[in-house]
Amino acid sequence: MPVFKYGFFLGCNIPAIRPDVEQAIRKTMPKLGVELVDVKGSACCPAFGTYPSADEYAALAINAWNISIAEEIGVDIMVECGSCYSSLKLGRDCLLRDEEKRKKVNEMLKVAGKKFEGKSDVRHIIDVLYNDVGTEKISRSINIKLDGIKVIAHSPCHMLRPSNVLGFDNPERPYMLRELIEALGAEVPRYSREFQCCGGAGGFKRRAHIEAVEYTKKKLDAIKEETDADLIVVSCITCLLHFDEIQKELTEKGKGNYSIPVFDYNQLLALCMGFDPKEVAAISIIPRDEIIERIIKS
Amino acid sequence: MAIDLTKADRTLVNEIIELGGEDILKCFQCGTCVADCPAATAEMPLRIKKLIHMIHLGLRDELLEEDSVWMCVTCTACEERCPRGVKPFEVCLAIRRWQAKEDPTYIPPALGEIFKTGHTQNVANVPELRKSLGLEEVPPTVAKFPELLKKFQEMLKCSKIVQEYGFMFGVG
Repeated sequence: MPVFKYGFFLGCNIPAIRPDVEQAIRKTMPKLGVELVDVKGSACCPAFGTYPSADEYAALAINAWNISIAEEIGVDIMVECGSCYSSLKLGRDCLLRDEEKRKKVNEMLKVAGKKFEGKSDVRHIIDVLYNDVGTEKISRSINIKLDGIKVIAHSPCHMLRPSNVLGFDNPERPYMLRELIEALGAEVPRYSREFQCCGGAGGFKRRAHIEAVEYTKKKLDAIKEETDADLIVVSCITCLLHFDEIQKELTEKGKGNYSIPVFDYNQLLALCMGFDPKEVAAISIIPRDEIIERIIKS
Repeated sequence: MAIDLTKADRTLVNEIIELGGEDILKCFQCGTCVADCPAATAEMPLRIKKLIHMIHLGLRDELLEEDSVWMCVTCTACEERCPRGVKPFEVCLAIRRWQAKEDPTYIPPALGEIFKTGHTQNVANVPELRKSLGLEEVPPTVAKFPELLKKFQEMLKCSKIVQEYGFMFGVG
């Protein structure tokens, strides 16, 4: 019997670019006693570079639109994408604190037959995995143990900060993703740039591409020089896409060989639970076949 | 270029406060926000501390030129570490809103895309891929329910930005 029930908020990048992450989450969470229901009719969170950068009330109305659907179902929202988590959680906090803004936004929502009450919370999937499910239950749920496999843990900025509003992990020295990976039997090596941002979100990559690539290269170089990691694990679709794309770009530009496979946490979990990699880990730029083979055979 | 403070606009700081930079007057220019900012490593860097100073000084024209603010990675390290609680990330968003108000060419085209489809990516465009993974061909978002998308648009039509720049959204 499921013990927890959440509205699974998809956002934009997961269902459009990496639906295998969506499938990994849909397959793994119920096995851990977390029932997922659809947030039917949800839209973009909205991402910080869109409405929040031009019209605060429109942005808050979209936040409220999304949250109100979960309120109608009577569930909290669960989300993987870091930006979606941050946008929804900060928007919700603002609407709860500011009565005047809440009133104005509810007037907009009324036109669409919706209402924001603040009943549904927004939770990041790492929060749900670590604090609701727990590492012990995860260890018991897997058929394949990652013995001898070394995994880099990269926690997304957006699940950490601003910690007074959306934090659940240590904002400067996060440990939850690390422990969740260790629960699968893997080793999680430490390295000097462990807590550096991936650099992939916002306008940095688009507007100062050379410097943005260089920024990410520093982190990847630290991983390469200081560890012998087999793969990188993230829990944010932006980090996932960025590490994948930048490694290809660096390699093509002759800056070295960058080919560390990148996974979302639930993809790795799904492989350990024995789900079909063709469904839960099918899409990547840096090839993952070899490491998937090694995991399945271990 | 020398800064001409006789042209300082004392209303600027209030406009930024109104648009979400409510704690901007607490800043004492320590630079913690810049020290660990990814976008501060760019050749034409984002220096949110400097932008806050410009607002304090009322340098309207200079602030309007500063498109560095659109480089923000949104990592919010500045907000976490600011010893004065200025919330530099919120100031970043407030400056963008102000610029979009002063000069509509700053309004990101993604706003129109979200209005039209509900998303920044066309989630209805990969039915084959989704099917091959065992998923519903169109995800159960607003992209799947035209009647909900219409309501979503009706809601956004109540916003200032859609009312003022309807042509960007294919409205009016």
